Amino acid sequence: MPTAESAADSGLRAWLYAAGTLALLLVALWWALIGAPTEATMGTIQRIFYYHAPAAFASWTALLLNAGASVAYLARRSPHADALAVAGAEVGLAFLSITLVTGPIWAHPVWGVWWVWDPRLTLTLAMWVMYAAYLILRQVTPEGSLQPRLAAALAVIFAADIPIDYMAIRWWRGQHPAPVLFGGPNSGLAPRMAIAFWLSVAAFLALMALLVQLRYRQELQRNQVRELRRRRVLQEA
Amino acid sequence: MGSVRIAWAVMLRDLRIELRTREALLAMGFYALLVIIVFSFAFNADAALTLRIGGALLWVAFLFAAMVALDRAFLRESAEAALTGLQTTPASRAAILAGKLGSSFLLMLGLEAILLPLFAVLFNAPPQARWGGIAVTAVLGTWALASVGTYFSAMSVHSRQRGVLLPLLLLPAAIPAILAVVQATQTYLEATGVANYWLQLLAGYDIIFTSLGMLLADAVLEVE
Repeated sequence: MPTAESAADSGLRAWLYAAGTLALLLVALWWALIGAPTEATMGTIQRIFYYHAPAAFASWTALLLNAGASVAYLARRSPHADALAVAGAEVGLAFLSITLVTGPIWAHPVWGVWWVWDPRLTLTLAMWVMYAAYLILRQVTPEGSLQPRLAAALAVIFAADIPIDYMAIRWWRGQHPAPVLFGGPNSGLAPRMAIAFWLSVAAFLALMALLVQLRYRQELQRNQVRELRRRRVLQEA
Repeated sequence: MGSVRIAWAVMLRDLRIELRTREALLAMGFYALLVIIVFSFAFNADAALTLRIGGALLWVAFLFAAMVALDRAFLRESAEAALTGLQTTPASRAAILAGKLGSSFLLMLGLEAILLPLFAVLFNAPPQARWGGIAVTAVLGTWALASVGTYFSAMSVHSRQRGVLLPLLLLPAAIPAILAVVQATQTYLEATGVANYWLQLLAGYDIIFTSLGMLLADAVLEVE
């Protein structure tokens, strides 16, 4: 049992972390809107990049957590692993949604269309559908030991599916710009753009971690409440 | 009993039940036939259009039929707690799942063998179409749908919304397989070349998800 003092301590640390994340998000927002120079050909709309790509990074990280936690759950059957898997999937899906919404807003003025069936877009949409299906499975499966087990089994299949999906889709279509960041000698960002970009990446990853942690703790508490309720029902009976 | 024999026994038993009741076969066949007929009205398909969208059309029909077959695979066990009976035998879960995979695969393949000529007639398939290639694609593609589908069927049998859940899980997971079968079928239908790399992708998909399904069989078929 945590002592009152340590609980207060971790509470304080959580608040400090949340405040730090908020500050980082504000600094990154300032850099994205004002600090970074306006892009030469695309103009102001390019600034959405500082939210679009970092959201994608954050979603991949969260979904990777989901995959890792799901494998861990199947191996050890620990409720902590399951709580982390739920948190990863929900937060990952939220960041995927940000990527999918900011993408068309950027694409319409620049490419002239809202949506193209290009490999990355298609894969992102496919991943969104997968993790939405994952959360629906959790919704419609009865609570207890069955739910985390089936969810973990599904998460492993989906995680294995993503690389194959990427290959299939790449063979099928090929419009999204090549990676600007690690894509060869002529790629790269202007220095002040790079500052804005990496600040944004850090801010989004911090936000992702904060949300995952909150959701993880909430899930564990929910399990506790359920367990207490079950015990009380047994006592009364 | 060895695992292979158990799988074989489960498969034969499932096929025997199916041939006696014909529950899934009738529903699947009629469903797929309706899809083909309704789509011919909807697209008002002439020869040129059929050539362009034939592969997709055929596989939408097969996919619907597959969903019915896969749904039945574990639903068949719900009467008189047959599933619990199966689960409490010392048979390995992987063997049970493999048997179900085999029976669903054969049912789907049998139905496709009937539907394919029908499709060729109703849609005036082009004379240059390479049916051998289409048949190979159908075998690999059907195995792909059966492998992930049987696994998901076992998962969705516990759910309150079983009928809706299976397609919700199967369709996203089958995206690469659906892409590959449609592209390969299209290539052979128009006889524009060979679709080797699509078939390779399908074969890879089959191997990966069959193995993963067997590995994780315990997780989806564990007794509560």
